[in-house]
Amino acid sequence: MVPVLLDLITTAAILYIVSSGLLLVFGVMKLINFAHGGLMTLGGYAAVIATAMGLNPWIGIPLAAIFGGIVGLGMERVVVRSLYNRPLDAILATWGLSIIIGQIITLVFDRGVHFAEPPIRGVISVLGEPYSTYRLILTALALLLGLGLTAALRGTSLGLSTRAVIMNEDLARGLGINSGLVRSITFTLGSGLAAVAGALITPLSSVDPNMGVAWLISAFMLVLVSGSSLFSLAVASVVLGGAQVVVSNYFGSVLGGMTIAVLAAVILRIRPQGFSYE
Amino acid sequence: MKESMKKISVLLAITALWAGSAVAEDHPIVLGIPVGLSGANSVVAPSVIQATELAVSEINDTGGLLNRKLVVEVADDASGAAGAQKAYDSLVFQKKVDAIIAMETTAARNAGLPIITRGQIPYIYTSFYEGSSCNKYQHIDAWVPQQMVSLMVDYFMKDHGAKTFFLVGSDYAFGRGLLGDTNKYIAEKGGTLVGEEYNPMDATDWTAIVSKIRATNPDAIITSTAAGAPNVTFTKQLRSAGITANYGSYALDEGTAKTLGPDAEGIYLGGTYYTGIESEKNAQFLKALHAKFGEKTETPNELSVPQYDAVHLYALAVKKAGTTDTDAVVKALSEVTFDGPRGPVKMSKQRHAPLTMYLAQVNAQGDTKIIGSYANVDPGEQCPNL
Repeated sequence: MVPVLLDLITTAAILYIVSSGLLLVFGVMKLINFAHGGLMTLGGYAAVIATAMGLNPWIGIPLAAIFGGIVGLGMERVVVRSLYNRPLDAILATWGLSIIIGQIITLVFDRGVHFAEPPIRGVISVLGEPYSTYRLILTALALLLGLGLTAALRGTSLGLSTRAVIMNEDLARGLGINSGLVRSITFTLGSGLAAVAGALITPLSSVDPNMGVAWLISAFMLVLVSGSSLFSLAVASVVLGGAQVVVSNYFGSVLGGMTIAVLAAVILRIRPQGFSYE
Repeated sequence: MKESMKKISVLLAITALWAGSAVAEDHPIVLGIPVGLSGANSVVAPSVIQATELAVSEINDTGGLLNRKLVVEVADDASGAAGAQKAYDSLVFQKKVDAIIAMETTAARNAGLPIITRGQIPYIYTSFYEGSSCNKYQHIDAWVPQQMVSLMVDYFMKDHGAKTFFLVGSDYAFGRGLLGDTNKYIAEKGGTLVGEEYNPMDATDWTAIVSKIRATNPDAIITSTAAGAPNVTFTKQLRSAGITANYGSYALDEGTAKTLGPDAEGIYLGGTYYTGIESEKNAQFLKALHAKFGEKTETPNELSVPQYDAVHLYALAVKKAGTTDTDAVVKALSEVTFDGPRGPVKMSKQRHAPLTMYLAQVNAQGDTKIIGSYANVDPGEQCPNL
C-alpha cells in the first residue's frame, strides 16, 4: 500500500510541475500555449548542456529557466502578441513555434537521445519501503512551486494586477493596469516554468527532440479541468494522476495511459467548469 | 557535296561513340533502399544509408557487377505503412529498381510486400523482426525471436541461477510477440513468470510497472521496449527506484546505452552485431567505414550491419546467377555466403539465416562488452512452405 501511495503522490507532483506553466498562461491570457512541450524539451537540453559543460546538475535548472524565459519573451513579442483576440489561431501559431523549437534542437544536436546527469541518485527508506529520492525531492519542489506562485499572486503588486487581468481584463485596463505588460510577463514566466519542468524530469525521461510532446497532452488535459486556479490544478493533479496510478496498477499500464484523457473528458461533460470552484 | 558527306560521317561517328558509351554508363544495376528518413526510424536511418553506400562502393571498386555499376536509389518510407506504399510504388514502378533491400518497421514491410509481389523483384529485409514473414521474393538476414530468446533466458538461468522473471514491453506487435515467445520458453525451462507488463509505445511514465517489479522482486527482468525513448525512460525510472535485479534488454542498442550513462551499467544485451566483435572482418569493416565517412561516421549497429551484409549478399547472388533476372537471383540468394562483420551469413534456412548471436554487457563507462558468442544459431521453422 505504501508504494502505491508514494507513487500516487509523486506522480501528482510531477504532473503539477509539468502543468503549472501552462496553467499560468491559460489563466491570464485565455490561450493554450502549445509551445509548452517544445519549451519543456528546451529545458531538457539545458540540462544536457549543463552536463556537457561539467557543471553541477542542479545548475541545469536555472539555466533552463533562463533559456525558456528568453525564448518565451521572444515568442510573445514576435508572434503571440498579435493573436490575443484570436485564441484558435494562437493555438496553431504556438504549435508551429513548438515544431520550430524541435527542429532547431534537431539541427543543433541530432534526433537521438542525449545524456543529462541526474542531480541525485539512489533511494531512501520511507516507512520501511525504499523509494526513489529524486521523486520525493520533486514532490517537495512541487509544493514549493505551488506555494511560491500563490504567494507571488497574492502578495505582490504584480500579482494583484495579474489577478485583476484574470478576473476582468477590460476593467483592469480601465483602472490603468498595463495588461499588455502583465501578459508579457506571464508568458515569459510560463515559458520559464515549462523549461524548468523539462529540466526537472530529465532523470526520469529520455532527452530527445520530442520529449515534451507526450507531457503536453497530460498537461493540457489537467489545465482544461482546472480553469485558472493553481489550487484546482493541485486537486486535478492528485485526482487524475492518482487515477492513472491506480488504473495502471490494477488494470495494466495500457489502460493507465488513457486514464487522464478519458477522465478529463468525463469530468468536463458532467461539470463544464471542472475542478474550478469559481 | 564532299564537304557535307564529311560532316555527316563525323556526326555519325560522334553519335556512335556517344551511344556506345551510353550503353556502358546508362545501364547500372539499381538497388532500391526504402528507409525511414523521417519518423521513428530517422535516428538509425543515417547509419543504414552509410552501410549501404560503403557496400556499394566496395562492390564498384572491385569492378562492379556483371561489368555494370551498382547504384542506389533511396526513398523515404516515413517509418510506417502509408509512407512505405508510396516509397515501394515509386521504386518498383517508376525507378524500376532491380532489387529492394530494406531496413524498416514490420508495418512498412507488410505494406511493401504486395508491391514486391506485383513488381516481381528480389527483396531482402534486414531488420530483426517477429518472424514468419514469407514471400516468394523475400529473404531475411537478421535475427528472429527463436534466435534471441534462448540466448538471454539460458544465460540468466544457467549463469545467474535465475528462477523468477519479469517481462516488460512496449505495446506493439514486435514487443508482445517477442515477450510471448520468451514467456513460453521460460515455462519450458521450468522458470516462473512473476509479471508481464506492457506500456503504450509513446508512454513516458513507468511508475506502476516499476512498483510491480519492486513488489515481485524478480531474479531477472527482460525488456522488449520500442527502440529509442522508451528504453531510456524505463531504464532511468527503474534505476531511480533503486532496482538492481539482472536486466536484459532485447531492444537497447550500443549507442543508446552510452547516452544512459551510469544507469545502463550491468544491462545485458543480445544481438548479432557489436562494434567490439573481435574479428578481422569487423576490423576491416570499421576501418573502411571510418575511411569513407571520417568524422561523420555513424556508429554501425544491429540494423545497419545486416544492411551492409545484404548488399554484398545480393552482389554475390547476381554474380552466381550471372544475371539480374529475378528467379535466378532469388534462388542464388539462398545459396551464397557472405563473410562479413557479423561472421558468415547464409540465408539458407527457409529464406532466413542461421546467425552468430552475441551476448554483451554494458560496463560502468557505458561501453558494451561482449561476454559470450554462440555460432550458427538456428532460426527454426519460419517459412516451411517456401
